[in-house]
Amino acid sequence: MEKVRHLHALDRISSYLPDRLKRVVSRMDPGKAAGLEELRINAEMPLVGVFSGFDCFIAADGSFTCRHDQAFRVGREEVEELFYRLCEHSVYAYQDDIARGFLTLKGGYRAGICGKAVYQGQTLKGFKDISSICIRIPRELKGCAEPIFPFIRAGRHDICNTLVISPPRCGKTTLLRDLCRIISTGSEAADFAGLRTVIVDERSEIAACYRGVPQNDCGPRTDVLDGCRKAEGIEMALRGLSPAVIVVDELGTGQDAESIKMAWNAGARIVATAHAYDINDLRERLGFGILIGEGGFERYIVLGIRNGSRWVKVWDAYGNRLYSDQAFRMPDGVFRVHSHGAEMFREAESQAACTSEVQGHPAVPGERDVRNGETVEQGF
Amino acid sequence: MCVMGKPLNKAFESLGKGNYGGVWVPLFNRSGSLLQEQILDAGNAWRIALEETAAALPLAQEDIDLLRDFGELLGKSDRDMQHAVLAMEKEKVSALERKAKEEAETTGKLYRNLGALLGAAAVILLI
Repeated sequence: MEKVRHLHALDRISSYLPDRLKRVVSRMDPGKAAGLEELRINAEMPLVGVFSGFDCFIAADGSFTCRHDQAFRVGREEVEELFYRLCEHSVYAYQDDIARGFLTLKGGYRAGICGKAVYQGQTLKGFKDISSICIRIPRELKGCAEPIFPFIRAGRHDICNTLVISPPRCGKTTLLRDLCRIISTGSEAADFAGLRTVIVDERSEIAACYRGVPQNDCGPRTDVLDGCRKAEGIEMALRGLSPAVIVVDELGTGQDAESIKMAWNAGARIVATAHAYDINDLRERLGFGILIGEGGFERYIVLGIRNGSRWVKVWDAYGNRLYSDQAFRMPDGVFRVHSHGAEMFREAESQAACTSEVQGHPAVPGERDVRNGETVEQGF
Repeated sequence: MCVMGKPLNKAFESLGKGNYGGVWVPLFNRSGSLLQEQILDAGNAWRIALEETAAALPLAQEDIDLLRDFGELLGKSDRDMQHAVLAMEKEKVSALERKAKEEAETTGKLYRNLGALLGAAAVILLI
């Protein structure tokens, strides 16, 4: 089902692509293309496909190759044409998005834009001479947060303040989006009623609003503050939208941390994400210490990829590990690619395995999983 | 268009549906649908729509030439530049309008003189 959905997503992208590029994409092996996460289109450069944990070049016949000299080369005019198509031939209508460096398209796609920056005074006004476009294929994986949700639930009408942590490209936003959907919709399986939720979607990645309509399912009780800065958005939400839960992506500054504190003081729960390898990594950052430890987040969901396999762990505020899945199967990406048996893919993936455990999140000896009925012994 | 941040196809669609489209409705609708299909850029969509609907428009060839060029710059720049483009085109259209009015006045004077002449001839004939 997910595969079908993903191929449909590629079809949608095709409608934006100039003719030659469209032909290359249409020739890709559907099985392999189903694992495609990004399409990187650079002027006068080889076409690159990004998969979970690795990337490769795409040849004119749609095959994937490690050799850039065999890859399909995109012309400068094609990049420009693609840019205008992505803007619906109306650059002025997407001016604000362009100034932020990306476009959100119908269907929740996101296209990162690169070119010559144009400033007006100190303000970045936009880009000209577009040199590359990176189309990110959305991952709305409904149900991927269901195994985790019971660990952040705090009763039929309440949840714990939760922080999702991982290095880039491990699925934070995907997981956050699904958590938001469950929180807003409610869950019979988890005996959870559903809560009023506000998403402060600064980068339009969670709900992926296109002309005011969320392209991803974020639940029926969800309001979206699209393109709004986190600190301002949280304040606005508290004043005007009376949320029970506020969802924000990619906390990163001391100001964000202050806003989270403000939301807690107002009685709202927070579900957020942050780039980090582990909780200690985050704690050391300026301004973030106040969110961690006693009186801070109550649950930490840590994500990573090891040897091409995603893993997830849930911790409480006292360092007790509540849940661990070493082969956390987001029903997509690397697992599907493996199932099609391409040696090149396997090799590339094992070489490019994300290193979050190796680099920053040491395996803790003796830690146990309460899910299996064992005693929790170990802190983070 | 620029203030609301509507893409061109939606802006044309609104103009086509609204009451202010007048004789231009077919032109706006056709341009909008061609853009919606994502096959053509704004310049080409506008040009083709203009060629298809020109016969039904009360325009001289000079007017059509001016309108054709106008499409080339649509949608290709930011709001400020689009405002500048629209202002420039407005100037050009105003100049054409002044010229048309002068021509209408000259022609009107001619017809008025002709009318007087014919009236005088009729009077002479009656006498």
